[in-house]
Amino acid sequence: MRQFGAIVLVVEDEPVQRMGLIAIVEEAGYQAVEAADADQAVAILERRTDIRIVLADIDMPGSMDGLRLAALVRDRWPPIEIIVTSGGRVPALERIPARAVFLPKPLNERRVRDQLARFAS
Amino acid sequence: MKAVRGLGPDDPLPREARIAAAVMRPRFGMGLSVLMAVLPVSAIAALFWALFATEAPWFVLLGLVVLIALLLGTIPASVAIGLSAVAVALAGGDPAQSWAPTTARWIAAGVFVLTASGLVWIVAALRATLLRLDAMLAEQGRDRAQLAERSAFLTSVLASSTDCIKVLDLTGALTFMSEGGQRVMEVSDFNAIAGCPWPDFWQGSGQADALAAIAAAREGRSAGFIGEAATMAGRLRWWHVAVSPIAGADGQVERILSVSRDITALRESEETTGYYARLIENSSDFIGMARVNGRVFFLNPAGCRLVGLDATAVTSVRMGDFCTPEQRAEFEEVIIPAVRRDGSWSGERLLRHFVTGEPIPVLSTMFPVRDSGGRLIGYGTVIRDFRERKAAEERQAIVNGEIAHRLKNTLAMVQSIATMTLRRTLPPDELARFDERLQALACSHDLLHRSSWHATDLEELARGVLDNLGLLPCCHLSGPAVRLGARAAMPTALLLHELATNALKHGALSQAGGEVDLGWRRESEGDELVLDWVERGGPAVSAPRGRGFGSRLVSMGLLGKGGTTLDWAPSGLHASFRAELAEIEG
Repeated sequence: MRQFGAIVLVVEDEPVQRMGLIAIVEEAGYQAVEAADADQAVAILERRTDIRIVLADIDMPGSMDGLRLAALVRDRWPPIEIIVTSGGRVPALERIPARAVFLPKPLNERRVRDQLARFAS
Repeated sequence: MKAVRGLGPDDPLPREARIAAAVMRPRFGMGLSVLMAVLPVSAIAALFWALFATEAPWFVLLGLVVLIALLLGTIPASVAIGLSAVAVALAGGDPAQSWAPTTARWIAAGVFVLTASGLVWIVAALRATLLRLDAMLAEQGRDRAQLAERSAFLTSVLASSTDCIKVLDLTGALTFMSEGGQRVMEVSDFNAIAGCPWPDFWQGSGQADALAAIAAAREGRSAGFIGEAATMAGRLRWWHVAVSPIAGADGQVERILSVSRDITALRESEETTGYYARLIENSSDFIGMARVNGRVFFLNPAGCRLVGLDATAVTSVRMGDFCTPEQRAEFEEVIIPAVRRDGSWSGERLLRHFVTGEPIPVLSTMFPVRDSGGRLIGYGTVIRDFRERKAAEERQAIVNGEIAHRLKNTLAMVQSIATMTLRRTLPPDELARFDERLQALACSHDLLHRSSWHATDLEELARGVLDNLGLLPCCHLSGPAVRLGARAAMPTALLLHELATNALKHGALSQAGGEVDLGWRRESEGDELVLDWVERGGPAVSAPRGRGFGSRLVSMGLLGKGGTTLDWAPSGLHASFRAELAEIEG
């Protein structure tokens, strides 16, 4: 497997989609860690230091949506790369943190793979 | 109207009297008259004395004296009597003996004087009577001529007046109608309606008004009313009627005068104006007018309600006061100049509620108002409340966004389920193809959503689909702007996706240097859309043997019901799609 060892944190509240995302990530040769919402994701990030990329859905219930999570990640863990995704509108550019990438749902698997590869290298 | 009697055969004075009067009319001054009396008397006296001496017929002088009295008056006649008496007294004397008359001559002269005086007195009385009568008659003649003239004038006034002038008796029956009145009332024969009760001509409440007016006139008062009555030709007209009493010589009301004027046209124009006024008053749109200096002078009730302005305060505000503070400058500097320059301005703007200050979204039209001479007298504005519409649009946008969001989430779910279900049984390639088809579908949805599910642009859709596959750099798109309706967008997106993936796998895009020309045009006088997919620079191709899902999608065409021509030329695939533009856009 390429880029062995790069760990991707998948944050998606909807279980079926979360499983699909994990499949894409693993298929691409990465290791996936899952979180059902932003709070869980933050807890994981606080516990682990090996997360390289966060792939998060924007539309999530709970105290934070994906964009706020992305902002928080960028603020607290600057080296971590961020991909946000949504079935809704493309968010305004200024709401996406620096270096982060937005991919619309349904995800184009090839694009996800390309983006993961770019961030993992 | 009876003709006034002129001077003619029925003159009350006999012809002889008229001649006498004409002869007797005084013509000369007193001195001349006396002289004219003295001369003939002296001449005749001298003649008689010379011819007959004492035998002269002196009484002949009586005739002369009477004639003088008749023609020249009493004083010349008196002088003539005196002179004649002297002549008579002297005539009897013998000139050879003595000039002094004899007693008999004195007596003769006295008798002469008495007789002549009596005759002169009678003649003078006759003359005075005749002259007075003549003068009276002449004056009467002048009066009659004047009367005739005045009467003719009044008749012509009555005839030419377009008012209907009528005279009624005290019961209200018609006794006279002016000629002009007969014309406007379309009366062909006045005798047919003479004597008819005048109030019966009126319709509805006019009848009661007419009766009341007659009652008032009988009591010596004037009255007026407006009523509807038909002409004799049966045409209904509106009349303004003035009814007044006509007093007789004794001051008592003898007859009644009624003057009615046809005001139908005036009333119609007033009615039309009234309709306009009611139209504006009842409109649910804000309709207002301001003077050139910006001072408002009219605002209809709907306008007052919209901005919470009291009707009494309308004239104390200016046009700019209706704007929100943020838009005021734009109103003064952009909108008003545009109205002056272009003759009107239309657009969405915000009004300010006068009580709450709340901004009110409206669709506004402003235009200059000119008088009949073309002079700018102010600005008119018609404004529609857009709050509901705006709110509905916002609600719709939210609903649309939610639908699109859910749709794409559902597609993402389908994608995940398919991935999870099939990844162990399907080769990764096939799974990827499924994914990409889903992408193409999502792309068409996305574009439709952006235009509120009405239509999207063909070029935009093609770019979206090709970009999704990363093929945009080697595809050349060209064609006019074509709207794709909701029905055509999805089949077209899937079709382009299949063509592109096929080109990528087997066709021109499977090797470096390969290109695709995607062009479209209108044909059949613009009724049809023809879209051509032409591959070049690829390997030699041949028609595929099998008939998979992809080729079926392609053969279904732009609307999913055919119109596809495929030419598997060795130089590359040339696919042509034809569809009715109306269906594509619908």
